[in-house]
Amino acid sequence: MNLPPHNHEVSRRSFFQLTLGWLAGSFAVGATAAAAVRFLVPNVLYEPGQRFKAGRPEDYADGSVTFLEDERVFLVRKGNTFRCLSAVCTHLGCTVNRTSQGYHCPCHGSVFSNEGQVLGGPAPRGLEWFAVTMSRDNRLVVDKNLSVSADKLLVV
Amino acid sequence: MSDPSARRLFHWFQRTRVGRSIFRVGLPQSNLERAQAMVSSFLLHVQPAKVGRHALRPSTTLGLGLISLYLFFILIGTGVLLMFYYVPSTAHAYNGMKDLQFVVSAGLIVRNMHRWAAHLMVLFVMLHLCRVFYTAAYKPPREFNWVIGIGLFIVTLALSFTGYLLPWDQLAFWAITVGSNIAGYAPVIGSKLQFLLLGGHTVGQEALTRFYALHVILLPSLALLMISVHLFRVRKDGGLAQPDEPANTVQQMEASQLPTNKSYGLMELARGTTPQVGLNPEDEVFSWPNLVFRELLLFLATVAVVLFLAIFWNAPLEELANPIHPPNPAKAPWYFLGLQELVSYSAFWGGVVVPGVLVAALVLLPYLDRQRRGVGRWFAPERKLATTLFTIGLIVAVVLTTIGSVFRGPNWSWQVPWKQSSTLTEGP
Amino acid sequence: MTDAPLRRFYGWFTALGLLVGALVVVGYYRDEFRDWKDYQRKFQREELRRATTPEQRALAKDLPLQVRQILLPDLNRVDRCTTCHLAVEDPSYGGYPQPLAYHPQHDRHPFDKFGCTICHRGQGRATTVADAHGNVPHWDSPMLPLKYIQASCGQCHQAADNPAAPELAHGAQVFEASGCRGCHKLDGVGGVIGPELDKVGARRSPEWLDRHFLSPATVTAGSGMPPQKFSGPDLDAITLFMLSQTGETMPGFYASMKVIPSASEGLRLFQQKGCIGCHSVGGQGGKTGPALDDVGLRRTPAWMIKHFQNPQAVSPGTVMPRFGFTEAEARALTDFLLNLRDQKIALTLPSLMSPVERGHEVFRKYGCIGCHGADAKGGVPNPNAKTAEQVPSLTYVSDGYTNEELKARITNGQREITPMDAVRPPPPLYMPAWGGIIQDAELDDLVAYLMSLKPKGEDVGF
Repeated sequence: MNLPPHNHEVSRRSFFQLTLGWLAGSFAVGATAAAAVRFLVPNVLYEPGQRFKAGRPEDYADGSVTFLEDERVFLVRKGNTFRCLSAVCTHLGCTVNRTSQGYHCPCHGSVFSNEGQVLGGPAPRGLEWFAVTMSRDNRLVVDKNLSVSADKLLVV
Repeated sequence: MSDPSARRLFHWFQRTRVGRSIFRVGLPQSNLERAQAMVSSFLLHVQPAKVGRHALRPSTTLGLGLISLYLFFILIGTGVLLMFYYVPSTAHAYNGMKDLQFVVSAGLIVRNMHRWAAHLMVLFVMLHLCRVFYTAAYKPPREFNWVIGIGLFIVTLALSFTGYLLPWDQLAFWAITVGSNIAGYAPVIGSKLQFLLLGGHTVGQEALTRFYALHVILLPSLALLMISVHLFRVRKDGGLAQPDEPANTVQQMEASQLPTNKSYGLMELARGTTPQVGLNPEDEVFSWPNLVFRELLLFLATVAVVLFLAIFWNAPLEELANPIHPPNPAKAPWYFLGLQELVSYSAFWGGVVVPGVLVAALVLLPYLDRQRRGVGRWFAPERKLATTLFTIGLIVAVVLTTIGSVFRGPNWSWQVPWKQSSTLTEGP
Repeated sequence: MTDAPLRRFYGWFTALGLLVGALVVVGYYRDEFRDWKDYQRKFQREELRRATTPEQRALAKDLPLQVRQILLPDLNRVDRCTTCHLAVEDPSYGGYPQPLAYHPQHDRHPFDKFGCTICHRGQGRATTVADAHGNVPHWDSPMLPLKYIQASCGQCHQAADNPAAPELAHGAQVFEASGCRGCHKLDGVGGVIGPELDKVGARRSPEWLDRHFLSPATVTAGSGMPPQKFSGPDLDAITLFMLSQTGETMPGFYASMKVIPSASEGLRLFQQKGCIGCHSVGGQGGKTGPALDDVGLRRTPAWMIKHFQNPQAVSPGTVMPRFGFTEAEARALTDFLLNLRDQKIALTLPSLMSPVERGHEVFRKYGCIGCHGADAKGGVPNPNAKTAEQVPSLTYVSDGYTNEELKARITNGQREITPMDAVRPPPPLYMPAWGGIIQDAELDDLVAYLMSLKPKGEDVGF
């Protein structure tokens, strides 16, 4: 059947039904899209955690700088203070090496001081320092989510 | 869409430059626009601008083909999501399934939706096949479309079968072991076919990799291609089968032969029939919104059913696949259980001859059937023989499947399900 | 537009739209509200309650609500137990109710290297209580009841004489003393009547094992295993020992404990190399070298290991020969000597034992007790066997066999046991062929022992 030309008249019941139907349907579509996006956001990571335990204070010699390979950080002990320096070069993300005067990146030659400041090379800013705290069972805890200034120490 | 405010919003957007570049036709307000809406849209133009009234009646098709298509779309959507967490490795597949269940947001629901939609799709494709048969919609000019349909049925079964293995649990592993053994019974090519399918002699990493490749890209692409041809042919063969339509295609049509009260038949002047063959103006309606709205409703209903099942019933996940620990009995997926029952009587007759003859009969059906009458009517009396034969075959298939699923216990012995436990596990 | 023909569908449209919308909401609720979030909030409230400084309060407030997991790629496991068991490493939570309790001795096996399920079993990847504890269908390894926890030690550590896992050691001792090896093979040694036990701990539950020991025929139809009479503690110990036999091969880091030989390995070497010829223990032995009773007080372990590997290097001028010990063997011997004072290891010194005494050891080692009874006195039921429905006692075996005949009988076994009643099923227990399993020297000693069983002064006398 060919319909008559457009007619704006709608019965109140039809209007109500259609509005409700479209609202519910749009809500469902929107919620489904949101759920699909949330589905894709990982809740667990299969990589070493950002927050990890680094052993006991006694495990580190006084004056030592210890490279923790899996976590890509250096654990620095001086006297009874502890700090943690990122080993990820701020240029393009290579792992820096420890030298007698500081740190050196083998990829593009960035040079960093003992305090992580840039001394040369293409790195745009200094190496990050991470927060070190003590856990209740007497272990050092490094949190790579928390950046701190270079002078923030953990005193044991 | 009659909601005035939404309509006004859309009209405003459609009048902007951006809007006009996307939506060439606004919300149809005249018959011309209703036709244009169908023809100028990529998604909608697979359907004609006008359809016969008979096409809108639920009893014509029961919407079974559409439901199968919707289930396929749901499967693609959920399947793509699942691919972000599933790894086709024997060491990681099962762990991925557990992760989906426990640590992925909505993971359990998405997986459940995928599983139930898969089972439903196999079921609805079968029902669609039965409907087409019972309404004789395979007779000329629709013979080849029926053949494509059988091909799609096989692709659907293959999709379900390849997907069945992917969780790599006991259910998956042993069902595919049984299924691929049945394939191995085919004469001459059987063992070679099994070797190719499994990438080796046993179900292992090679089989998992192959089944994954088949399941996520090869078979879906094939299915999409065949579905496109299938829908195209529905148009070209004159739309949905209706009673008393003129038999046989009209190969050539002079423009002067077109009925003069029709003015929108221009796009149908290519070779083939128009869906309007044999229809009077009173018998047709515009697809927009009559057909499209009904299709939307059917989609909502399909989604509601799949979602309901997914929320309240979990897809099964048994123990990790263990090649030395077969369950007793090991059963194929439900759509192959009738076959497994037959095979238990005779590997050759039950696994090769009977299914081979059945598939051949189905494929050749339109060419073997000489009766030209009865198109578009349910259980037409002129086709009593064909209807009876088909129904008998259907009943036998259902009975065999039922026996295989509930009446067979350890060592494939007869059991009544309300008396005994259904499976034992054996092994060292 | 008014579409009169469509109007009758508007109600359907509303209903379906609302239905789908409602289902989406229900699905969201089921997904979002999980048990573990409640436990984490409980923990957070407790931390806030205990916080005394502003920094502690801030830390407690910032506790993220998330799934926590321990990644163990070497073991192909992921343990998410710490999602709910949040205080396992915090001694200040000792005595709290689960799941917030502290795990005693938490740094013995650090959780980040071992996880939880390697000892406690259960389903590490799960995040709901029931699924994680594993008592659900289609999960083969539910959590071990705590009283059996030492079974897990046996996956990496030696069972026998293990001072840190006394219940496991007890179980190993009950196993050897009860003669289970007579019918069951373990680690390749034993009889063939019953199934091998190498993986039994992974397949059977503690309840099944308990019932199996006390009444085998009720859990295994047609079993010929005689019911065992274990006391309560012995039953727990043997079940625990069986649970430790999981047959899992541990990857490198974890397996190293098993390949480190124990004091019992040192004892074996001590006997094999004949150390008693030159050194004395407990007053017995040679006088050439020093007595070894208190060697642990006089020498450090490092010195002793070096001494075994090269005596001249640490003790110049010594006459002790260089035996060519590997480091593992040297460590085992050192272990053994260090434990001489602490443990009562029965020093069965071969050169001082008579063949009969050695034979008694062989009888015990291969589990003959299991079928022939303690001291070979018999009494173990063998249904439908002509020999009074029992496995025969061996006390009078010297009357019916010569040494050669007895040796042949043990070597070849007897598969067919004459039934009492041909209609009933055949007797389940039979004599396995021990040839190839029992060594030749052991066989001679065993025969000597069996021949000595007849009480002295008895004659057959008819």
